[in-house]
Amino acid sequence: MEAASDKKALLFWGLFLVVFALVPISRNDYYLAMANRILVWGMFAVAFNMLFGVTGMLSFGQALFFGLGGYGVGLMVKYLGQAWFLAGLGAGVAAAAVVAYLLGYLVIRVSGVFFTILTLAFGQLAWQITFRWYRVTGGDDGIQGLVPTGILGDHIVYYYFCLILVACSVWFLKRLSASPQGLILRCVRQNPARVRFLGRRVRRNQRRIYVISSVFAALAGGLMAGVDNSIHTNMLNWTTSGEVILMSVLGGIHQFFGPFIGAAVIKVIEDVVGARTEYWSLIIGLVMMTMVLLFPRGLVGEWVSFKARMRSGGARKEGV
Amino acid sequence: MRGKAWALVALALAMAMLVPAVAGAEDKVVKIGALYPMTGRAGLYGLDSVAAAEMAIAEINGKGGVKGYKLELISTDSQAKPDYSVQVAKRYITSDNVHFLFGVVSSGVGLALTEVSKQYKKIFIGTDHASTQLTVDKLQPYYFRVSNNTFQSMAAGALDLKERQKAKPWQTIAYIGPDYAYGHDQWNELKYNLDRFGVKYKVVGEYWPKLAAPDYTAFITSIIKDKPDILISGLWGGDTVAFIKQALPYGLFQKTLFCSPDAGGNYEVMSATGDELALGLVLSARHHNNWPGTEANKKFVSDFFKKTGRYPSYSAEGAYAGVYAIAQAVEKVGNPDDAEALVKAFEGMKLKLPEDPDGFTSYIDPLTHQIVQVQAIGETVANKDFPPATRMLGNWKIYKAQEILPPPEYLKEHGSDYLKGRMK
Amino acid sequence: MDSSFLLVQFVSGLTMATLLFLVASGLTLIFGVGGVFNFAHGSFYMLGAYLAYTVVSLAHGNFWVAVLAAGLGAGVAGMIAEAAFLRRIYGRSEEGGFQILLTYSLILIIDDLVKLVWGTEYKSLSRPAGFTGSLVIGDVTLPSYNLAIVGVGLLVVVVAWWVLSRTRPGRIARATALDRETMGVLGVNVPLTMTLVFGIATALGGITGALAAPLRSVTPGAGIEVIIDSLIVVVLGGMGNFWGAWLAALLLGEVNAIAVATVPEWASLFSYLVMVVTLIFKPEGLFAPRQVRKV
Repeated sequence: MEAASDKKALLFWGLFLVVFALVPISRNDYYLAMANRILVWGMFAVAFNMLFGVTGMLSFGQALFFGLGGYGVGLMVKYLGQAWFLAGLGAGVAAAAVVAYLLGYLVIRVSGVFFTILTLAFGQLAWQITFRWYRVTGGDDGIQGLVPTGILGDHIVYYYFCLILVACSVWFLKRLSASPQGLILRCVRQNPARVRFLGRRVRRNQRRIYVISSVFAALAGGLMAGVDNSIHTNMLNWTTSGEVILMSVLGGIHQFFGPFIGAAVIKVIEDVVGARTEYWSLIIGLVMMTMVLLFPRGLVGEWVSFKARMRSGGARKEGV
Repeated sequence: MRGKAWALVALALAMAMLVPAVAGAEDKVVKIGALYPMTGRAGLYGLDSVAAAEMAIAEINGKGGVKGYKLELISTDSQAKPDYSVQVAKRYITSDNVHFLFGVVSSGVGLALTEVSKQYKKIFIGTDHASTQLTVDKLQPYYFRVSNNTFQSMAAGALDLKERQKAKPWQTIAYIGPDYAYGHDQWNELKYNLDRFGVKYKVVGEYWPKLAAPDYTAFITSIIKDKPDILISGLWGGDTVAFIKQALPYGLFQKTLFCSPDAGGNYEVMSATGDELALGLVLSARHHNNWPGTEANKKFVSDFFKKTGRYPSYSAEGAYAGVYAIAQAVEKVGNPDDAEALVKAFEGMKLKLPEDPDGFTSYIDPLTHQIVQVQAIGETVANKDFPPATRMLGNWKIYKAQEILPPPEYLKEHGSDYLKGRMK
Repeated sequence: MDSSFLLVQFVSGLTMATLLFLVASGLTLIFGVGGVFNFAHGSFYMLGAYLAYTVVSLAHGNFWVAVLAAGLGAGVAGMIAEAAFLRRIYGRSEEGGFQILLTYSLILIIDDLVKLVWGTEYKSLSRPAGFTGSLVIGDVTLPSYNLAIVGVGLLVVVVAWWVLSRTRPGRIARATALDRETMGVLGVNVPLTMTLVFGIATALGGITGALAAPLRSVTPGAGIEVIIDSLIVVVLGGMGNFWGAWLAALLLGEVNAIAVATVPEWASLFSYLVMVVTLIFKPEGLFAPRQVRKV
C-alpha cells in the first residue's frame, strides 16, 4: 500500500490541498469551523495511528497530550495575555514532548492491554488534576477568550495557518512512515523479537514514536484552542482518547490516510446525527459496532481491498 | 460478503431516514437555537427545559405570535461538551440563521458559548447555568440570564442562616460540595455573604468529594465527628440524593442542620429520595412546584405535567422564562434582527413569571444582565401532592430580590471590563 | 481521634471498598479468564440498578428477589452480548483495540436503550425491610444495610474462591484462562465456557448495581461513573487477579476513609496517588496479574 505511484500521491496531495483551501469561499463560518476541526482532528488521528496502526501500541491516553497542547495556549493567554497565543502553542508542544519522554519510561515497560490501561490511568489522572485544580486551570469552567492577536485573529487567516501546519505535519508523518524508521516501527508491531535480533532496541523505538505522536497530539490540541476560542477539561477526558481510536479504526488503521478520513466522517456524522436526534449515542454506537464487526479494515482499507479484488477478480486478499 | 452488503444497505437506509428532518423555512419566524444536555445525569434538566420552552412557544404562537412572527425552537443535545456546543452554535448562527442562542445547563458550556455570542454579536439567553461569572467576571453585551445565579442563592442562604442564628444561636458550620468550580464558588460566595451580613461563625470542616462520587459514608462519619451546628451542601442532583440516602441511618440530620440553598431543593431530589428524605432540611432551588401558590405557577406546573406526564425540575421554568423574555423583547423592538435594539429591550425588562409571588415582578438588571428574583427557602415537610415525591418544601422564608444581588463593591472587584465600563 | 470514631470510619471505608470490589470483581474475572477488557461493565451495573427498580416498584417485589432478578437480567444480557458480538472478534490482530471499541459501542447503545425504556428521571429504591436502621453501640453507629453489603461482599469472595478452586467448572475456567487451545483439544467447549464466564461477570455487575441502588441515585450515565474507579481497582490488584482486586479495593476504601478524616481537602486525590505510586514501582499492579496472551 506504500507503493502507490508518485503521480497518484501527488494527485492526492493536490486534491487534498485544493479542497481544503477552497472552503473559505463558502463565506460560511460554520463550514470553515467544521473544515478546521476535520483538519486538526485528522492530524491528531494520523499521528495517533503512527502509534497504534503502525507500531501496534494502543494508547488510551492521548487525550493527555491533546489537553496539554490546549492548556499550553489557555494558561499562557490567561496569565500573560493574548499576545502569548503562539508562544503558548509552542510551550504546549514542548511540554508534551517532555511529558511524553518521561511518561514513556513509565508506560513502555509493559505491553499489550497493560500499556493501554496504564495510559488510560495516567490520562485520567491528568484530567482529574485539571478538573480539580480550578484555581489555576479554571477547572470545569474552562478558559475562554483564546483569540490570537494580529492577523491570526481573523478566522480565515487562522484557518489557512492551521491548513499549512496540518499539511506539513501530515507530510512529515507520511515521510516518517515510509522511511526505514517507519519500517522498523512496523516490525516492532509484527515481530518485536526479530527487531531485537537485528540489533535494534524495541523500547527505544517505541518511546521515540510515543514522543512524536504525542507532540502532534499536543499541536492538535493547541490549534483547537484557536478554533473554538476556548478550552475545557473535557479535552483531557478518556472520551477524547476513545474518539481518536474510533476515528482510526473507522478509517482503517493499516492505511496512512485512513485515520484522517475516519476523523472527517466522525466529525460530520456527529454533527449531522446530533442535529437530528437526541438518540445520537445509539446511532453512533450502532455505526461503531457495525464497523468493528463487519468492516475491520476501516473505510479506506475496505475500499483498497475492494479495488484489489476488482482488479484481480477477487483472488487477492490482503491480510488484516 | 452478502452479510456485509446487507449491512451497508441498512446503514444507508438509517442515514437516509435522518436526512429529511429539516423543516422548510417560513417567512416570518423568530428562530431560537437551544443547546441542552439530553443524556447522562443532567439529561433530565435538558429534556425538562426543552419541554417547557416548547410549551411557552405553543402558548405564544397560539395567540398569534409576536408582531406577526412565529417562534421556532431548534434544539440539539449539547452532550455537556463545550467544544461540541461551540460547533453547534456556529451552525445555528451561520447556517440556521437563528436569532438567539438559548439554554445550557453546565456553566462550562455557558462560558464557552458566551464567547461565541460576543464574537458574533448574537444574543445568548442563559436559562439554567448558575456560575456568577457569566453576569460578572465574563459579562459581555449580548448575554442575559433569566434564572438565579449561585451568588443570589448563597446570599439568600446567608440571610436564612442569620435569622436562624437570632432564633437559635449556632456557632459552627461545615461544608460539603463537589470538588470543581461550582462547589468552590458556592462556598466562597456563602462565606462572602455571611461576612457581609455580619454573621459570626466558625468553620469546623470542609469536604470536597469528587463530582458524581458514588460513596459519601466516609464523609458523613467524618462530618459527624466535627459536630457542626450547620452543614452546608453544594451538591446537586444525584449527588444530593446519594448523600441524603447514605446519611439517614447515621442520624446525621438529627445532629446537624442540613442546608442546601442552591440546588438541594430540586424536585428530582425529592422524587428520588421519597420517604428517605428527612424532615426539616433547609433547601432551595431556582423554582419550586408548590411555591408561590399563584395561579400562574399552578398552571405552569399542571400544564407541564399534562404535556410530559411528570412534574418539572427547576430548570423547566428557566427555559419557559427565557422564551417569554424573547417574545417580550421582539414585541418591543418589532423585529428579531436588530441585536442592539434587542439588548436595550432586555435591559431592565419586567417579566411576570410563574415563580413570582403576588406583588413582585421579575426584572432583568440593566447593569449585570442578570434577572432579579425573589428567592424562597423552605424546609422539607410531608406532602404527597407531587408524586412520586412524598416530601416537598414548606415553612417558606422569602428573601427580597434586591438584598441578594451582588453589591457594587463585588462587581467592582470581579466585573469584566465591559461591566466596569458601565459602572462609571 | 478516639477509638469509636476510628471504628466507624473503618466501617465507612469497608462499605466503600466492598462496593468497589463488587463492581470490579466482574471486570477482573472476565479479564482474567477471557482476556477481555469489558469497558461496558459499568453499563451492566446500571442495567442491574434499573432492573431492580422495576421489579421492586412495579411488581411490588421483594428487594432480595429484585437483586437476583437484576443479576439474572444483566447476566443474560451479557451472555447475549458475548455470543452475538464479542465472540466475533477473538483472535484478530489488534484485538485489544477492537475490544475497547466494541464494548465502548455497547456503552453508547445501552445508555440510550436505558433512556428509551426508563426515561431520564431519577429513580428511587429504598433500603429493604429490616435493613433501614442502624446498629448502635455507645458512640458507634453502624447502618445495618452497610453491614449487609459488607457481608454480601465477603460472601461473593468466599463463593468465588470455592467455585474457582474447588469445583470442576472453576478449574476449567482457570485452565481456559491459561491455554485456550489445549482446552479445546481436550474436548472442553471453550466458546460456551467464555459465554458463561462473561455472563457471570456481568451478573456480578448487575447484582452490584441493584445492591448499591438504595445508597445511590439510579440515573442515566451511572455506568460510566463507576467504570473508571473499578478500573483503578483492577489495575492495582493486578489485572485479572480476583483476590488482588479485593485487597486493592480494601486498600483504596480505607485510604480514602482515613484521608477524608485527616486531610479532607486533598482526600479526593488519594486514590489516584495510590495508583500512580504503585504503577511507578510495579507497573503490573500490586499483585501478580494473570499472564495475558499477546494482544
